[in-house]
Amino acid sequence: MKKTYLLILAAMMLICLFASPGAARDADTLIVVQESEPVGLDLMRSSLQNTMSVCYNIHDTLFFPQQDASIKPALAEKWEKLDDMTWKITLRNGVTFHNGEPLNAKAVKFSFDRVFDPEIKCPHKGKLSAFKGIKVLDELSFEIKTAKPFAPGLYMLAIYLPIVPPDYIKKVGNTKYNTDPVGCGPYKLAKWVRGESVILERYENYYGPKPYYRKVVFKTVPEATSRVAALVTGEADVVSGIAVHQRKNILESGKAYLTSQMGVMPYLGINTYEPPFDDVRVRQAVNYAINRELINKALFNGKAILCNGPISPRTFGHAPDLKPYPFDPAKAKALLKEAGYPNGIEVRLAYPTYMSQIQEQVEAIAANLAEAGIKAKLEPFERAVMWQRYKGKKHQLYVYWWDDAPEPDRYMYSLFNSKSRDYYYKNETIDVLLDLGRTIIDRTERAKVYNEIDRILYEDSPWAFLYVIPEVFGVSNKVFYEGDRDGFLNMRWAKPKN
Amino acid sequence: MISFFFIHLSGDPVLLMLPGDASDQEIEELREQLGFNDPLYVQYVRFASKAIRGDFGESLYYHVPVMELVIERLPASLELAVAAMVFALVLAVPIGIISAVRRGSILDMGSMLGALLGLSMPHFWLGIMLMLLFSVHLGWLPTSGRGTMAHLIMPAVSLGLSLMAMFARLTRSVMLEVLSLDYIRTARAKGLREEVVVGKHALKNALIPLVTVAGMQFGFLIGGTVIIETVFAWPGLGRLVIQAIFSRDYPLVQAIVFVLSLLFVGMNLLVDILYVYLDPQISYSEEK
Repeated sequence: MKKTYLLILAAMMLICLFASPGAARDADTLIVVQESEPVGLDLMRSSLQNTMSVCYNIHDTLFFPQQDASIKPALAEKWEKLDDMTWKITLRNGVTFHNGEPLNAKAVKFSFDRVFDPEIKCPHKGKLSAFKGIKVLDELSFEIKTAKPFAPGLYMLAIYLPIVPPDYIKKVGNTKYNTDPVGCGPYKLAKWVRGESVILERYENYYGPKPYYRKVVFKTVPEATSRVAALVTGEADVVSGIAVHQRKNILESGKAYLTSQMGVMPYLGINTYEPPFDDVRVRQAVNYAINRELINKALFNGKAILCNGPISPRTFGHAPDLKPYPFDPAKAKALLKEAGYPNGIEVRLAYPTYMSQIQEQVEAIAANLAEAGIKAKLEPFERAVMWQRYKGKKHQLYVYWWDDAPEPDRYMYSLFNSKSRDYYYKNETIDVLLDLGRTIIDRTERAKVYNEIDRILYEDSPWAFLYVIPEVFGVSNKVFYEGDRDGFLNMRWAKPKN
Repeated sequence: MISFFFIHLSGDPVLLMLPGDASDQEIEELREQLGFNDPLYVQYVRFASKAIRGDFGESLYYHVPVMELVIERLPASLELAVAAMVFALVLAVPIGIISAVRRGSILDMGSMLGALLGLSMPHFWLGIMLMLLFSVHLGWLPTSGRGTMAHLIMPAVSLGLSLMAMFARLTRSVMLEVLSLDYIRTARAKGLREEVVVGKHALKNALIPLVTVAGMQFGFLIGGTVIIETVFAWPGLGRLVIQAIFSRDYPLVQAIVFVLSLLFVGMNLLVDILYVYLDPQISYSEEK
């Protein structure tokens, strides 16, 4: 009996000894680790960041979106404006999908129509709703029309219209396409083991510059500590979702570095419809009460950019002459007194628990507010509940965030135009200006409109403006990867460091 | 039914399925399309009538039949549960026996103190500590994922340690009870070797409560490995159910709850059948 047990124990120890930490891998394989796994590989069917990241390696769009909200040619080779509402776009010649199907104007029309197919339930169709439709002119060129002039149109196409192969989809159907997609991006799908990994292989007939890595493996590790462990042990090359307190560990390990391209812009939303925040002085008091500088130093090593209005300081159209609200608790108290609250106020501050780096931020903000006589009761909510309460106008103060998008219309229209939402704030002047801003094609003239919007909202304070935080990726010292501002893990840009 | 109503009352998946800037009209359209505007009882009848035929519907996020997802993840969960159970039993039974036989010795006290520690250590913490030691510092084992035996060791140990502690304490107390019974004295009086008395006569009787507890725990292990599956990125049902609950993927939650209940009931049945083998006095036949 004893002998049997001893044998079993010895066998277990042997397995331990001979077990190797992950199989050896080629130098031209890149391993990327994300927080959650893709739910599908059809870019038209999901708006989840981790899913879209994998998809952008497989699918290409007509243009490459740039950091300044301009575009560069991708599948489209050239384009010309026929009038303020019509573009003529010509595709590159000789581009093929991964299955050999040719890219042509019909494929673009099919892709555009597919966005509005009810069966697809495309979450991005709202972004493309300004477009009326596509008219195929010949094999490679087509016209695309908007109902009204729509300045961010081509930029929206660059992000939200992946071009998909019509023949293949008609043959296999939408469900199969979601698990076994064919695109014309730099990588093609080799294998997807759901729950474990997505293996991509370089598409050798890709029209653009060939990516360096022959193989890219996307893996999922939900726990942040485990992701960092995978990075420092060399099991992963690029890791997303790094918590603030783990950054030091990564840098001290000497095995990896951190990127800072991508940004998220948290903000403290205010319910302007109900007292005490229906008074602009109370809203301004909140802005004066927050010590952005200190939070930046303490939590983000001074790497965050302080916001001086609702439009991110890195975004086209923001008013550069505005200064962030200074930290001035005395002024905040005086404003509260003026508004009829000499003894301060008690408020509720809701925040989403799943947002990265949130807990430390709301605690700091609440402490700041308390100093100015605004006693905030923290209300942590899980994703679904936070969102439901938000739409149900249940919040008083709430923290949410938006990605630090280069195109102002992408978030300003959604958040401040009452046609899109008016849950906590409505301003008719802003509505008019936002409608105008998207119709002006000239960039300089357009920037003036957004400057004006920025100034009005700065004064009216429907938010307490906070900062743009660099959302970091951890990258192995062997790999060069800067990351993109939109936060998608596009591995065509990764290469060995030396 | 309970899980159906609870999950439906807990939040609206449509808001989560669409991006943050979706208009109210888009939200309403999708809600209508998915049938979430119907009264809850209508939705339940629709769900139940399909479920009876084995059709649990399509995942709201994956857009594939939910049973396909559940069946894909089941082997990983079973593998981890079996490995944790084997690890726990292989170590717990001898420790329990030795502690019982050498009652009051340093060995007994040491192993029971160890068992107490094992019981009180949180899985999460233990998993991270093991990872820091064996993966980050020693570089012996992979940090996470599934594939080789090496991937299985840390999750199985983290999951199995508290079970092992529980089983060791149980084995000890049952063995102590059995060893004081008359038939053991008779066996010893017959001049049988102590190994035979303990290993054959006493152990077989002591196994009955152990099998009962192990069987019940196995059911918990399959569905209750959420934390360990998250720490070690183990692609099992525990991780899937958490993801499904947080994203309010109703059909997926329903299917997982159904499969886990089935497994739980199945395990209890198996335990009942095992009794007959372990104790011939227990019989399920009509004749007495």
